[in-house]
Amino acid sequence: MDTLVSAFLVGLVGVFCMLDSRLLGRLNFEQPLIGATLVGVVLGDVPTGLAVGAAVELISMGLVSVGAAVPPDMVLGGIVASAFACLTGASAETAMTIAIPVAVLGQLLGVVFRSIIVFLGHIADGAIEEGHFKRAYRMHIVWGTVLYSLMYFLPIFVAVYAGTDVVQAVVNMIPDWLTNGLNVASKILTAYGLALLLSMMINKGMTVFLILGFMLASYLGLSVIAVSIFGGILALILMGFKFAGGQLATAGAADPDYDPLEDDDE
Amino acid sequence: MATTKDVSLRKKIWQFFWRSWAIQDSWNYERQMNMGFLYGMVPTLDRCYPDESDPHQLERKKEAYRRHMAFYNCTPQTSAFVLGLSASMEESYAKDPASLDPDSINAVKTSLMGPLSGIGDSFFQGTIRVIAFGLGVQLAQQGSILGPILAMVISIIPSVLITWFAAKLGYQGGHQYLQKLQSGNMMDKVMYVCGIVGLMAVGGMIATLIGATTPATFSEGTLVIQDILDSIMPQMIPLALTGIMYWLIKRGVKTGWLLVIAIVGGIVLSALGVLA
Repeated sequence: MDTLVSAFLVGLVGVFCMLDSRLLGRLNFEQPLIGATLVGVVLGDVPTGLAVGAAVELISMGLVSVGAAVPPDMVLGGIVASAFACLTGASAETAMTIAIPVAVLGQLLGVVFRSIIVFLGHIADGAIEEGHFKRAYRMHIVWGTVLYSLMYFLPIFVAVYAGTDVVQAVVNMIPDWLTNGLNVASKILTAYGLALLLSMMINKGMTVFLILGFMLASYLGLSVIAVSIFGGILALILMGFKFAGGQLATAGAADPDYDPLEDDDE
Repeated sequence: MATTKDVSLRKKIWQFFWRSWAIQDSWNYERQMNMGFLYGMVPTLDRCYPDESDPHQLERKKEAYRRHMAFYNCTPQTSAFVLGLSASMEESYAKDPASLDPDSINAVKTSLMGPLSGIGDSFFQGTIRVIAFGLGVQLAQQGSILGPILAMVISIIPSVLITWFAAKLGYQGGHQYLQKLQSGNMMDKVMYVCGIVGLMAVGGMIATLIGATTPATFSEGTLVIQDILDSIMPQMIPLALTGIMYWLIKRGVKTGWLLVIAIVGGIVLSALGVLA
């Protein structure tokens, strides 16, 4: 396939994934697994797309976009890595080494674009004062869409169109110690992502459930879905105990905040 | 004042539905989803103040548009509730300006933002996404296209259902329903169940997804460290790595530094033959 056409198609996959969180409330099309697989579909190499998608998804698993924090853009990284693996026949592991620098680059670009959009808000303020209501909300639905689309389309198109040979040459120069090192780094990044997720989730006295989930999977070898199902059942059982004292508390129990499941630390 | 044009309830709810999904379209560092919220209110406000040639109505319309340009940030799916509720408040304010204090509209929005994004993010990002993609990756690693498909199905169904009912409840039940949720501590129960399932799933993922091991051996290869570790507790290294990263995050180490630590640390530990 023509490189220009490939670059354009992969760019469009990027726009689709980005607009998922912009226009569809984040249905999760904007995930590395989906983006990389779709690249595999448009470039006609689904197995490679799946392999790269699974590898990048693992790294990004715990990175959640909350408030103003922008995590490294693993979706962008996954899309570009998948395109390179499909176009050059590189292995998923090699493509991964491209995904990480591209993801960091994408993070920087995201910061720039999200700052530019601040100005759209001020244009909208002005438009409302003048009574141009349509112009005000077009800043959101038209210009927001355009800017966020470009934020993904431009770097992907340029990287795929100009970069296949260049990136291939660079990849060939990468020594083994670096490839192995980045492989370990990707495992530590997964640990970081999960730790980041935990830092938002862990409340007082809830750590035991994390440990329980880990033990079920490590000693008993259960899958994540099995652990989740057991978690749901356990939560429903415990809820009966935890919230049973509701009437007592309103009747003036000594300590309405008493929680038998809570540790006393922190 | 007979200024309000009537549109079917169904149409209104679909408008809240689509527009709450589009709420992040102009997300920015300053007021975050402010323009997104305004966009969600546009059909309601335009119905309330249809006559721009009337200077009095025009002024009130400007005031309402300005009101919804305030800072806003909340999970898109649960935002449908806030959009519906705000729309019902705007409608009663437009009909009878004495019925409520317009400042209370933004006060309600602000007070709902915190709890609803807390529930929304932990449910969609912390629970649904984790389960959907934990399962999806396992299948994709075996080369099955069902992986991404299943992940999307698991993601889309709760998203559609919750957005739809949030919009309906917000617009119709609004105020009283929220009080009911809070008084019957339903909010606490939902958070409690989501917390346990999410944490256990993450625990399981630490054991199944990281997969870091040590190639180190002693006594010329007769003593394999990994075998000893496995006999004590399998997946001990991933647990330790997660613990260290968690500790660094809690110490307030900046994201940029943590990424440097992870990448440089990985290369160094691999070169030294400590981790693989």
